[in-house]
Amino acid sequence: MNRNVFLRKLGGRLLRTISISFWVMVISYSLMRLSPGDPAEARLGAGADPEAIIKLRETLGLNENAFVAFVDYFTGVLRGDLGVSLANDVEVLEIIKRTFPLTLTYIVLSVFFAFIISIPIGTIIGWSNKASAVYVFRGITSIIIATPNFFIAMVGILLFSVKYNWAPLFGYVSDFPGNLKYLWLPITVNTLILVSIISRVLQSSVVDTRAEEFVETGIIRGVSRPRFFWFYILKPSLAPTVVLLSYMMGTMLGATVILETIFSLPGIGRELVGAVLANDYPVVQGILLLFGVITVFLSFIGDLLAYALDRRVKL
Amino acid sequence: MSNNKAFAADASRKERIKEWVSRPGGFGIITGSLMFAAITLVGFIYPLVGPYAADEFVGESLEGPSLSHPMGLDQLGRDVMTRVFSAVPADIGIAFLGVTIPLTIGTVVGILLGISKNKYVVSTVSSLIDGINAFPLLIIAIAMVTFLGPGLFNVVIILTLMSWARYARIARTKAVVVLQQNYIEATKLMGYSKRRVISKHVAPNVSSESLAYALSDFILVIIIVSGLSFLGFAARPPMPEWGSMIADGRTFLGQAWWLTVFPGLAICWSAISLSFIVEGLSRRDRGNS
Amino acid sequence: MSNALVQIDSLCIDVKVTRTRRLTIVNSATFDVHPGQLLGLIGESGSGKTMLCRSLVGTLHRRGAYINSGSLTFNGIDLIKATPKEWRDIRGKEIGYIPQSALAGPNPVMTIGAQMAEAIQLGEKMDKSVVRKRAIELLEIVQIRRPEIVLKQYPYELSGGMKQRVMIACAIAREPKLIVADEPTTGLDVTVQAEIMQLLKQIRKDLNTAIILVSHDLPLINEVCDDIVIMHAGSTVEKIPSANIERTRHPYTEALYKSRIDLVEPRGKLITIKGQPPTVGDWPTGCRFAGRCDYAKPGCSADVEIPSIKIGPNHLTSCIRQAEIWGK
Repeated sequence: MNRNVFLRKLGGRLLRTISISFWVMVISYSLMRLSPGDPAEARLGAGADPEAIIKLRETLGLNENAFVAFVDYFTGVLRGDLGVSLANDVEVLEIIKRTFPLTLTYIVLSVFFAFIISIPIGTIIGWSNKASAVYVFRGITSIIIATPNFFIAMVGILLFSVKYNWAPLFGYVSDFPGNLKYLWLPITVNTLILVSIISRVLQSSVVDTRAEEFVETGIIRGVSRPRFFWFYILKPSLAPTVVLLSYMMGTMLGATVILETIFSLPGIGRELVGAVLANDYPVVQGILLLFGVITVFLSFIGDLLAYALDRRVKL
Repeated sequence: MSNNKAFAADASRKERIKEWVSRPGGFGIITGSLMFAAITLVGFIYPLVGPYAADEFVGESLEGPSLSHPMGLDQLGRDVMTRVFSAVPADIGIAFLGVTIPLTIGTVVGILLGISKNKYVVSTVSSLIDGINAFPLLIIAIAMVTFLGPGLFNVVIILTLMSWARYARIARTKAVVVLQQNYIEATKLMGYSKRRVISKHVAPNVSSESLAYALSDFILVIIIVSGLSFLGFAARPPMPEWGSMIADGRTFLGQAWWLTVFPGLAICWSAISLSFIVEGLSRRDRGNS
Repeated sequence: MSNALVQIDSLCIDVKVTRTRRLTIVNSATFDVHPGQLLGLIGESGSGKTMLCRSLVGTLHRRGAYINSGSLTFNGIDLIKATPKEWRDIRGKEIGYIPQSALAGPNPVMTIGAQMAEAIQLGEKMDKSVVRKRAIELLEIVQIRRPEIVLKQYPYELSGGMKQRVMIACAIAREPKLIVADEPTTGLDVTVQAEIMQLLKQIRKDLNTAIILVSHDLPLINEVCDDIVIMHAGSTVEKIPSANIERTRHPYTEALYKSRIDLVEPRGKLITIKGQPPTVGDWPTGCRFAGRCDYAKPGCSADVEIPSIKIGPNHLTSCIRQAEIWGK
């Protein structure tokens, strides 16, 4: 594709991503309006002071016309104002800034390790294509994938915190390297699940690549081993993996909620759960918006990366 | 070749079944179906015939697994095994509703979108669908709990509101593809009414694809329902439900591992049996074993 | 003949289907290739021609296939027993390979330049500017315009014909003595097909390369090649000079020849060969064409060894009844 066509397609895709982000904002804002009861009352409790309820409704913008309220919110977001927590008057943005880095850290670490482990596993099993190995591999991975992550986490805790005291049950210290003690088990659990998913897709992709004609020519040309591995096995097979991964990031963000609850980690997932329990609407909305936008942009970046790897991918 | 016998018009029922099973993936489909049927049946029958009731206090609290209580007793002295099986209607049943209702609604909307000629409607609704799909299901389900309140029934509503978009997307994509096929042109020439084209060509193709996705989704929803209950947003005590049982058991993790392990295994069993079926079906599609 | 470049004698190639089941893909192939000869290899799908090609470049093991019996010699070297080191010296340098055009061809994730560099260097270290010069030279030989630009492009930016020219350029990079071209024009436009064939003929002339041209298109092979080897159901059934195709001595060749579409009169009947080739592995006894042959007699399907009868200096056939059908 020549430069102009590429840029045009890129622009179009970016535009679509932004418009979807807009809808994400609309949805995350409108959820509050879907409540059957009065959100303010739900927050303050049924026997609360009626004055306080009215005041809260004002703050939440419930008395205004929905459209106007949304525009207010929208312009606020563009300025960086995501609202203020009802529980402690802290700005939602601040809460996010405080809790998101931790979540991001262990997600990124999990993905990183998962990739390092999955690539050799996926390519070796996919390339050799030995029926027995494939069977066992797919069997084990499908069991791990079907197991809910909180169960794996619990089993992990049972083994490593209860039986052997290798990981603390709760608490957290944010300075490095102290925090490693608290993070290694959640990261391991996450990595285990990710490895199962990624190596599976990679294996299947490598099997497809292996059957292609150009691999034959690579062998005939006597290409060096490392070069052959990258250009003839790995690179042509990575595209579906990357696309899947960008999609998976969204699901993983979801999984963090449960993991952080189990391991008592002060990340954004646990913050969300707390906000839900406390009916802290601005925080819930803010985090929801964050997650939605991140997922949309990640899928865009994922497709872009896949295209960079393998030009056959459609943008 | 022996396989050809199954295609003969006079092939016996037994031979036809044997041939169906021996095709790629047959093993997975059968195993998975049997496993899933097992837990569903036991779940619906055991509470009726079992010695204890799910909320009956039958013994000392936190007693370990024994012959009379193969899965032990929980902190209130209730029989864990009875509770695990009594949770089937909650977990599997709710998950079932959480799949079939969005499946129906989403597929209908998707087909309508695929047929529609109105560009504005299609693009707006599509953007909306993409917007809904942008959120990780668990996250938005949790957020919805804030606004709609907890409870199993609400979970079904939440799932419906959030999941229909995924089915709509699949249905629409497939409907568009089908409508572009050449044989649709042929039906137009033959004077088929629009309704007939939809019911005979579009709907069957779209639904087969949607149903395949629904099966994988079923696994996801079971895990989400139990996940939500684990966090306290869906099933509430004393209702037996795997996720909330695991959450309850967390406090006693060191002393009574059976409180968390058995409900967890139940979830695993359900999810794994379904994934065997899905894997078997996909092997069948790809034509290798 | 001792001055033959390639000598194939009663070659038998099997494939491992499952751990226990074996399938014979090539049952008994016999023919020679001489230096500079343009040899056509004709056969329907399942005749084993592709497997034969792979045996010449040593990539059988990838499909789980292996040579069961017979001999395969190139330039005096026994290819069946060749060590990996010997193969490294032969593949690409002495024997080149042009894959089927319909099946992708160049590696989609690499630039044309990178792939040509691979074909030129074949794992050896060479000066970058030398490689680039040679790449441009090769692209010009295959008549690709603006080679400097093409070097930076990816395969998906090229047309089918251009991609195939690139594959040809890669195959001739080290001026091999033999090129195996497996259906190089299948799926391309007719005009492009003609150009590619012209190119191959030119290469044969300039570099004195022997070319084995595999196809299922008899008229094409007839026009381009010096000699033709016809395969059916895993065996070579006839080898005949192109010029003599009308004087064939095998019913299969005759049937192929008669069923040419370009010979059909307007509103005339299309002649086809009845039946299907036997399923791979399910070979009948005796002559495998007997089931579809118009001249077949019961004796043809008897469990006899199929002969290789010499008719002329360059003409071999394996029809048992050839003398009766066409006379001495």
